[in-house]
Amino acid sequence: MAIKAQLFITCLAEQFFPGVLKRMVGLLERLDVQVAFPEEQTCCGQPFFNSGYRSQARDLAVKWLKVFGRGDGFIVSPSGSCVDMVHHHFPELFPPGSPEHRRAVDVAARTFEFTQFLVHQLKITDVGARFSGRVTYHASCHLLRGLSAREEPKALLQAVQGLELVPLSGEETCCGFGGAFSVIYPEVSKAMMEAKVRAIESTGADVVAAGDAGCIMNIAGGLRRAGSSVRAMHLVEILAAGRGAS
Amino acid sequence: MSRAREDILGKLEAAGGRRPGAPPAPIPPTARIAPRQPAGPETELTQLLTEIGRLNGVTRRLANREALAASLAELVRAEGVKRATCWTTPDLEAWGVAATLQRLGVEIVPGHADKQRVASCELGVTGVDAALPETGTLVLMSSPERPRVASLLPRVHLALLRPVVLRPDLHQVFAETREAGYTVLISGPSRTADIELTLTLGVHGPKSLYVWVMDAV
Amino acid sequence: MNQLPTAINFRSNTRQVPPQMSAAVQKATAKFLGNRAALVDALGNDYWQVLRQAGHDIRLHAITHIAHYLEQAEQAVTRAGGQVHWARDAEEARRILLDIAARHRVKLAVKGKSMATEEIGLNHALQAAGIRVLETDLGEYIVQLKGVGPAHIVVPAFHLSKEEIAALFRDKLGVEAPAEAEKLTQIARMKLREEFLAAEMGISGGNFLVAETGTIVTVTNEGNGRMCTTVPPVHVAVVGIDKVVPDWESLTVLLKLLARSATGQKLSCYTQFISGPPRSAAETGPAEMHLILLDNGRTRILQTPECRETLLCIRCGACLNICPVYNHVGGYAYGYPISGPTGVIFASQILGPKIAGALPFASTLCGACNDICPVKIPITRILLHLRRRVVEGDETEPATAPASLRLGARVGALALGSTGLYRLGSRLLRRMQAPFVSVGWMERVPAPLNRWTMSRPFPAFAADFRQWWRGRHLKARHE
Repeated sequence: MAIKAQLFITCLAEQFFPGVLKRMVGLLERLDVQVAFPEEQTCCGQPFFNSGYRSQARDLAVKWLKVFGRGDGFIVSPSGSCVDMVHHHFPELFPPGSPEHRRAVDVAARTFEFTQFLVHQLKITDVGARFSGRVTYHASCHLLRGLSAREEPKALLQAVQGLELVPLSGEETCCGFGGAFSVIYPEVSKAMMEAKVRAIESTGADVVAAGDAGCIMNIAGGLRRAGSSVRAMHLVEILAAGRGAS
Repeated sequence: MSRAREDILGKLEAAGGRRPGAPPAPIPPTARIAPRQPAGPETELTQLLTEIGRLNGVTRRLANREALAASLAELVRAEGVKRATCWTTPDLEAWGVAATLQRLGVEIVPGHADKQRVASCELGVTGVDAALPETGTLVLMSSPERPRVASLLPRVHLALLRPVVLRPDLHQVFAETREAGYTVLISGPSRTADIELTLTLGVHGPKSLYVWVMDAV
Repeated sequence: MNQLPTAINFRSNTRQVPPQMSAAVQKATAKFLGNRAALVDALGNDYWQVLRQAGHDIRLHAITHIAHYLEQAEQAVTRAGGQVHWARDAEEARRILLDIAARHRVKLAVKGKSMATEEIGLNHALQAAGIRVLETDLGEYIVQLKGVGPAHIVVPAFHLSKEEIAALFRDKLGVEAPAEAEKLTQIARMKLREEFLAAEMGISGGNFLVAETGTIVTVTNEGNGRMCTTVPPVHVAVVGIDKVVPDWESLTVLLKLLARSATGQKLSCYTQFISGPPRSAAETGPAEMHLILLDNGRTRILQTPECRETLLCIRCGACLNICPVYNHVGGYAYGYPISGPTGVIFASQILGPKIAGALPFASTLCGACNDICPVKIPITRILLHLRRRVVEGDETEPATAPASLRLGARVGALALGSTGLYRLGSRLLRRMQAPFVSVGWMERVPAPLNRWTMSRPFPAFAADFRQWWRGRHLKARHE
């Protein structure tokens, strides 16, 4: 019986990186996953939660749980920070012992970030991708620390044929996005982003890969402003490569 | 009792939600760690001396009284010692350190003399109450025979140590120092990296630390 | 910086960071982090995690039963011949110390490094009372001469070059001062020895206060802490009530964590354990010993269970060293003697939201601090609560964020909470952005997003996944 997965596309990826989402669908289907897309989804509420607007975050969490709680099976998303929100913060939004809390915990248990879904649920590290070039990896903070996904993204990248993975100095250092932080403290955000761009350029890589749309928005923009020829790509785009566009 | 005290304790007890005077919950076992397991005595001593060396201390093992006297003469010459202050514990007396120094022309200043005079000593000689090999640490207590200033004010601190004072870990040291009025753990000469992160020795405490092991003296 | 802040404007402060600060910070933090990592490796990560958990648990136990342990400490210090005073706030603490100084006709006080004394603005108060007070930790001595506060809690003057320090010594001390660390250290040593020997009072903080025996523990490298607490005839220790630990055995864990986390040393040079003044007149040491227990907002911190662990901090500075924000701006930007992640959560609560403002937002929530904290303070979790306090208010404070922001959040959430409005908004943005877009990017956008584009272009709105998905399914159904 095919594995079923509901897509949690996330507001940032939907608005700015629809190509990533389309490739994710294609890749999952090639891996025999039956993909569904609950159309009522909007945003998990993370920007509100992170800015202290807990009531607003709760309202959005209620909606999210309604949308995704209807089905069963896995919920898969290309965003470490959004999945971290669902796992660690949704339950905090509801009183312990309440039915909402119980539901949040249950749904969170079947919600996975994309690389963790591949490695731990599908038990795959080689998705049959081909991508030639030197790639360096930036470890998005919530993926790395919130979800403890230190090895999965790199294991998947290492299995890609033709890909040379080069280490990034300060791989685990925050890129400076931080959601609202980038507009509340833009000077510090800029300094952090520029440090990340400098580190990326000194690797000699053609591509920097990351697993979070926020990081990619920030880093891609920074590379462009610096006139760099390095491309910022989402992990999914690399893992979906070499099998033709979907 | 003061208003401030009642205010503060009152607020703390309210915040903790506990009845005043109620005994605390037991300390959870996860809050405790086991002491380090020591190796054999010779290994422990070697480790102690190695660690002290890493901390810029200078160590030596002395086999007998003659070696002690010769080493003291060497130290006095090398460090230009004119005045010294010493502990007066039974060990220090038995080793005759003050007497030997006097014979070398060094003036002995008692530890509780005027602090300006003690501060003018180039050398302070102490014993060692306990030592920790893992960190190269000397444990010195305080008493009328163990003036604190002897290991603090002079530029050179000479610590004479019996191998039996080695302890595996802080747990054992604390069992002995817990009820005392004062203890200092000394790990190397005084140091700072406050200026451009460059390590310099001898900021306010001693600049040189010599540790001599009195093996059978 | 012994003036207490009236309002902290972190953004404004970050725009005034001198250009060489960032490089200097990173040089210092890289060194400490490297040394720390080597020692953690030597212990083995598994054992290090056991230590961290033990550190957390013993500190949390102490904070949970803080009233009991403070009373026990008070009794023990008094039995040992020390005098205990309680200070509800900075003003009270300063007054207590000034009274002691007046009684002893103190003209000169020497001081070891103590964040608690910085917190209460002690130096300024002493100077106003005509008492000379000298910082004796070399880094603090240097910044005191310069007239500024510490830029890092462990190495206060790391950002100054030896040339600057030499010039400072020449200017303020009137001595020949070559720009060499060794020689500058010797100059400071000589100058401060005169002061140690002349001072009527020595002031210290306390890294820990052991309840079972009333023992103040000081952790230092230079020896100034020993000097301040041994040489002058009167010793006053100012210790935050949060520093209390139940017993000596607690220290077996905490002392293994502290120096390794702070500077990558196994132990600092001097760890002192002081239980009251010397027990006999024949012992060298101060004739009188005072302990001032400082509240100054710590009791208020304890009122909020989610924020309680703020007080577990053992002031190692590891979170400063790893924080990418701190590494770019240095300590002064935080406007408070304790900076970095632990400074943010501490200061925001001690000073309150009216003064600290948007300080809790001075973080990307990257979480590196959580992982490095030797006592496992959930720093980002506390930051999230403090942010909520700013924008929504909580049991202890009303909201302080502007009403317009809160209204904006409510409107935004309503829009995002409705699938129809969300999709409408998405379509509208795609249409409205047209004049700004070039090759998939917007180099200039209206406020407030222009704060983004000052550093990098904003990507074009491009949402078409839903149409693509519908189209696929229609195709599939027809095949």
